[in-house]
Amino acid sequence: MNFFRGVISGQAAGPQPSGAETIQKLCDRVASSTLLEDRRDAVRALKSLSKKYRMEVGTQAMDHLINILQTDRSDSEILGYALDTLYNVICNDEEEEQDESEDAVAPLPVSGKHKNVSVPDENAQKQADDLSLQFTDTFIQDPEHVTLLLTLLEEFDFHVRWPGVKLLTALLKNQGPQIQGIILVSPMGVSRLMDLLADSREVIRNDGLLLLQQLTKGNAAIQKIVAFENAFERLLDIITEEGSSDGGIVVEDCLLLLLNLLKNNSSNQNFFKEGSYIQRMKPWFEVGDDNSGWSAQKVTNLHLMLQLVRVMVSPVNSPGATASCQKSMFQCGLLQQLCTILMATGVPADILTETINTVSEVIRGSQVNQDYFASVNAPSNPPRPAIVVLLMSMVNERQPFVLRCAVLYCFQCFLYKNQKGQGEIVATLLPSTIDANSISAGQLLCGGLFSADSLSNWCAAVALAHALQDNLTQKEQLLRVQLATSLGKPPVSLLQQCTNILSQGDKIVRRGSKVQTRVGLLMLLCTWISNCPIAVTHFLHNQENVPFLTAQISENLGEDERLVQGLCALLLGICIYYNDNSLENYTKEKLKQLIEKRIGKENFVEKLGFITKHELYSRAAQKPQPVFPSPEQMLFDHEFTKLVKELEGVITKAVHKSSEEEKKEEEVKKTLEQHDNIVTQYKELIREQDAQLQELKEQVASMTSQNEQLQATITQQQSQIQQHKDQYNILKLKLAKENQGQSNSQGDGSQVNGLQTEELTQLREEVEELRKQHSLLQTQLSDKDALISSLKSGAAQTAEGPAGGSDNTELLQELEALRSQVQSQSTEIGQLKMERQDLLRRAEAGSSDTLPSSDSSLDAAKMAELESRLGAQTSEMERLKAEVKNLSESRAELEKQLDSTTSTVAILQTEKEKLQTDVQESKKEQDDLLMLLADQDQKITSLKKRLKDLGETVEDEDDLDTRDQTDDDDEEDEDED
Amino acid sequence: MAYAYLFKYIIIGDTGVGKSCLLLQFTDKRFQPVHDLTIGVEFGARMITIDGKQIKLQIWDTAGQESFRSITRSYYRGAAGALLVYDITRRDTFNHLTTWLEDARQHSNSNMVIMLIGNKSDLESRREVKKEEGEAFAREHGLIFMETSAKTASNVEEAFINTAKEIYEKIQEGVFDINNETEEKISDQLELNRQANGIKIGPQHPTTNSTLSSNQGGHQAGGGCC
Ligand SMILES: Nc1nc2c(ncn2[C@@H]2O[C@H](COP(=O)(O)OP(=O)(O)OP(=O)(O)O)[C@@H](O)[C@H]2O)c(=O)[nH]1
Ligand SMILES: [Mg+2]
Repeated sequence: MNFFRGVISGQAAGPQPSGAETIQKLCDRVASSTLLEDRRDAVRALKSLSKKYRMEVGTQAMDHLINILQTDRSDSEILGYALDTLYNVICNDEEEEQDESEDAVAPLPVSGKHKNVSVPDENAQKQADDLSLQFTDTFIQDPEHVTLLLTLLEEFDFHVRWPGVKLLTALLKNQGPQIQGIILVSPMGVSRLMDLLADSREVIRNDGLLLLQQLTKGNAAIQKIVAFENAFERLLDIITEEGSSDGGIVVEDCLLLLLNLLKNNSSNQNFFKEGSYIQRMKPWFEVGDDNSGWSAQKVTNLHLMLQLVRVMVSPVNSPGATASCQKSMFQCGLLQQLCTILMATGVPADILTETINTVSEVIRGSQVNQDYFASVNAPSNPPRPAIVVLLMSMVNERQPFVLRCAVLYCFQCFLYKNQKGQGEIVATLLPSTIDANSISAGQLLCGGLFSADSLSNWCAAVALAHALQDNLTQKEQLLRVQLATSLGKPPVSLLQQCTNILSQGDKIVRRGSKVQTRVGLLMLLCTWISNCPIAVTHFLHNQENVPFLTAQISENLGEDERLVQGLCALLLGICIYYNDNSLENYTKEKLKQLIEKRIGKENFVEKLGFITKHELYSRAAQKPQPVFPSPEQMLFDHEFTKLVKELEGVITKAVHKSSEEEKKEEEVKKTLEQHDNIVTQYKELIREQDAQLQELKEQVASMTSQNEQLQATITQQQSQIQQHKDQYNILKLKLAKENQGQSNSQGDGSQVNGLQTEELTQLREEVEELRKQHSLLQTQLSDKDALISSLKSGAAQTAEGPAGGSDNTELLQELEALRSQVQSQSTEIGQLKMERQDLLRRAEAGSSDTLPSSDSSLDAAKMAELESRLGAQTSEMERLKAEVKNLSESRAELEKQLDSTTSTVAILQTEKEKLQTDVQESKKEQDDLLMLLADQDQKITSLKKRLKDLGETVEDEDDLDTRDQTDDDDEEDEDED
Repeated sequence: MAYAYLFKYIIIGDTGVGKSCLLLQFTDKRFQPVHDLTIGVEFGARMITIDGKQIKLQIWDTAGQESFRSITRSYYRGAAGALLVYDITRRDTFNHLTTWLEDARQHSNSNMVIMLIGNKSDLESRREVKKEEGEAFAREHGLIFMETSAKTASNVEEAFINTAKEIYEKIQEGVFDINNETEEKISDQLELNRQANGIKIGPQHPTTNSTLSSNQGGHQAGGGCC
C-alpha cells in the first residue's frame, strides 16, 4: 500500500517515476500478487491513471486486465475496475458524442449532443481516434474476449454490468462489423443484450439502448433478432412511459433504435406492421395546438417519429408493403392526425416541413389516402382546401426553401397515379369550371409559372407537369386554357405563353436563376406534348417556336446554358417523334431536314445528351422526393428523368434515320404490321385450334363414355348369352330326359334369372310350349301305361309281353307278341277244329259202336265251351288290334313331337350363334373405338406440337389443372379480401 | 386486428426442404418453384381461429444452411412453436433430424411445441422416407407429425393450425405462464421467461375499438394488409 501511496501522492517530492514505469509496476502487481486485495488496489490505480496515461495503460496493462476478467470472476469490485480501465483506454470520450444520423435528409436541429470539433483539436482528436482503434483491435484479436464480456454482462451486479455495457458499446463504435460478427455467432449473444432493456435500473436500461443502437447498426441479421426479442414492444412501451414526444433523451434513443431496426429492413417492417405497431404510432402525433411546448427535445423526438412513419411507407419499399402500411395508417387515423399538424398553427417550420414530407409519402399512390387528403380543409375563414393553402406556400418566396420543396413533393405525391386528382387540378384552369371567387390550385400554379421568382416558376411548372403525367386527357384539356394578358390584347394560350416566356425570358427581370425558370418551363412543355400529337401540333402551329428551338440548340452557349440546349433538343425531338404529320410545314421529314441543315445530326444528338450528362441528373433520378442542397441546384424533377430515359434513345434513332431509312422503316413497319397480321392470324388459328382441341376433348370424353356404355352392354349381353346357354343346356338335358322317357319335370324355370329381354320371353314361351308338350306326352304316356297294364291283366297268358312301357319298340314287340299270340291261338283253334272234325268222324262211327250217346253229349258240351272260348278270344283279338292301331297313332304323334323339339333346339342353336356373332361384333366395335381413341390422342399430341411450334405455350393437361386450381384460389383470396 | 393470443413460431430444418415454401403457402397461398435461398431469417404472419378465438401467428422462417445456424439459434428461445421440416425425397434431411431436435431442445423453452413435417408429399415417386418412419420418429421423440406438400397445399393449413391447437391446449392446461397483468410486478428473471415463451395475450378490449374493429379481417388469410 505504501508503494501506491508513493506513486499517487508523492509526485511533489523526489524524482518521479515515469508514467510508464509506474504502470509497469502496477501491471506486475496485478499479474503476480496472490492477494486479491493487492490486485484490486493495483487495478484501481491503473484505472485512475488510465485517462492521463491512456496510451501506456492500454499498451501495457491490456492483457493483465483481460486476465483479471477471466480469473477474478467472483469479485465484482475488481471486475468493475478492470472494465472501467479498459473502457477508459478504448473509448474516445470526444468521439462518443458525434455519430448518429449521418444520412438524415435535413440536418437535425442542433441538440446538446452535437459538439463542433474545433479545428485546433483536429490533430489530437485524430490521434485519440487511432488509439481507440488500436486498443479495440488488440482487445478483439481474440474473439473469446468479446464472448467473455458478454458473459460478464449476465452479472447482475451494477459495478460489473454497467461498465460492461459501456465497454461493449465503445468497442462496437470502434469496430462495429467485426464485433457484431462475434456476437452473432456466440450463442444467444444478441438475445442476452436485449435483456438489458428489461433491467430495472434506468441507467443500465438507457445505456443498454445506446449499446443496442451500436449493435444494430447496419446489420440486418442482428436487427431481426432484436426485433424478434420483442424490441418493438419494449421500445414503444418505454416511449409511452417516458411521455412520447414530450419525453427526454431516452425517447430519442428509443426512436433512434427503432429507426435502426426498421430502415431498409423489409422483414422487420413487415413484422412491425403485422404486430399492429403502426397503430401505436398514432398517439405520438396528438400534439396539442398550444404553442407552449416545442422544446428542442420535442422537436427532435417528433422529427424522428415522422422519420419512422416515412420508413414504413418509403417509395423505395416494395409497392405492396407500402400500400398496406398506407392503408393501415389511414385506418388507424394516423394520416388524419398528421394532417391536423399540417393545418395547426405554431408548429415549428422544421416539423411542419417534415410533416408535409411524411403526409406526402403516406398518400403517394394510394387512392383512398389521396382522396382523403383532397378533402382536408384548413381551419381558416372561409375554409380552404389544404392543397390550396400548401400551394400558396410553394409559390411564396418568403417561405423556407425546404418547406416549398416539401409542398411540391406533397403535391406530386397527391397526383401520383391519381387521374382523378389530376383532372380536378386541371379543371380549376378550364374556362367552364373556373371559379372566379376563390383562389384555386390552378390559379396559384399559373401565378407561380409567370411570377418573377424563378423558384416559383420551376415549382409551378413541375407541379403542373405532374398534373399531366401519363394522362392524355389532361394534356389535351390543358390546351384549352387561355390566359388574359394585358388589356386590349387578345388572350393567349397557356402553351404559347410558356414558350413566349422561354423566348423572351430576358425581358423580364427575375429573381433567382434564369436557367431554373427555363428548365422548369421546358420540362413542363416536354411532359405536356410527349405522347400527345395534338399538343405537338399546337406547339408547332406557332411559327416562332421551331426557329427559336433550332436557334437555341445550334448556338454555342456557355456551360450554364448547356442544359437548356439539351432540353430544347429534347423538345424538338418530341416534336418529331410524336408528330402526326398534320402540319405541312412541320412534318417529321421536314423537321429532320431542318435539323440536318441548321444544327447537324451529330450536334443535335450531342446536345440532347447534355441532359443525362448533367451532374444533377442522376441525383434526381434516385428518388421521387425533390431534395436540393441549395435552391440553385433545383433543376431536375424525378418523374422527368424517367421521361428522358424513355425518350433519349428513340429520339436519337428517329433523328439519325435518313428519309430512305425512314422509308425502310415504314416498310419494316408494314412488314411488322404484316407480321402482326400473321401473328394475329396465327393467334386466330391457335384460338381455332384451341376450340378444336376443346371439341376433340369433348368428343373423346363422349366416346369414352359411349365406349363404357357399350362395354356395359356387352357384359350384359355376355351374361345373357351365358344364361341362354344355361337354359339351352337345361333344355337339352330335359329333352334328353324326355327322350329317355323319364318323366321328372323339376323346376327348370328356376334356372331362369330375371333378365327380361325379348329373347328371354320368347325362350320362356318356348320353354312353356315345350313344357306343355312335355306334359302332354306324359299324359299320353301314362295313358299308354294304363292301357298296357290293362292289356297285361286282360291277357294273362301274354304276360311275357311288354311290361307296360311306352317305348315304341316295346310296343312293336308287344304287337309282335300279340300277333304271334294270335297266330298261336289261331293254330290252336285250327288244331281244335281238326280235333273236332276227327271226333265228329269218330262219333259217327261210334254210334254204331258202343257208348255212342254218352260220348256225343260230352263232346257237345266240350264243343260249346271251346266255341265260347273262341268267341272271347276273337273279340279279345279284335280289341288288341284296335289297341295296336291306337298305339301306332300315338307313336306317330310322339315322333312328330320329337321333330318339333329338335327344330326348337335348332332354333335355339341359331339364336346362340346369332348372339355369339353379336358378341363378336361388339368386341370388334370396341376395338374400333380404342383405335379411334388412340387416333385422337395422336391428333391432340400433334396439335399441341403444332401449337408449340407456333410459339404458343402449351401446357400439359396436368399443369393446366393445377393452374386452374391456383386461379380459383386467387379468386377466393380476393373474395376474402 | 384484435386477437386473443399471439404465438411465435419458427420453422427449422435442412436447406431446401421447403420451409419458405410452406410459409408462403400458408400466408399467401402461393407456391414458389424456385429455391430462393433464405438468408438469415424471414418473417411472415397470419391470423387463424381456434376454438372461436382469433390467434395471430408470427412466423420466423429460418435459413437451413449450416452457415446461418448460429443466427437462427437466436430464435429458439422466444418461440412457442417450431415446425421441424424434412424432405421425404431426401433421406439425409431425415437423418439430420436428431441434430436439429437436439439443437432446438437445447436452446428453446422446454414447453415449445414441435411439429415434425415431412414435406413434398406430392413427390410420391421420389419418396425416400416412408411415412411410417416419420411417424415412428415423432412418436419416439414426443412430436406431432404430418406429411405436407407446399406445392399442392396439402396439410399445410393443418400443420400450422394443429401446432397452434397444441399450444392453445397447453395454455388451457396452465403449462405456460402468460399472465400479462402481473407483468410489472414479476422479477427480472420471470419477466424474461414471459417474453421467452413466444406467447402474448391480445389487447383486452371490453368495448370494441371504434376505427379498427371492423373485424372481418380476422378470417382473412394471407400476410395481407395490416
Ligand atoms: N414438389 C415440391 N417441391 C417443393 C415443395 N416445397 C418446396 N419445394 C421446392 O423445394 C425447393 C426449396 O424450397 P424452399 O422453401 O426455398 O427451401 P427452404 O427450406 O426454405 O431452404 P433454405 O431457405 O435454404 O433453408 C424449391 O425449389 C421449392 O420449389 C413441395 O411441397 N413439393
Ligand atoms: Mg428458405
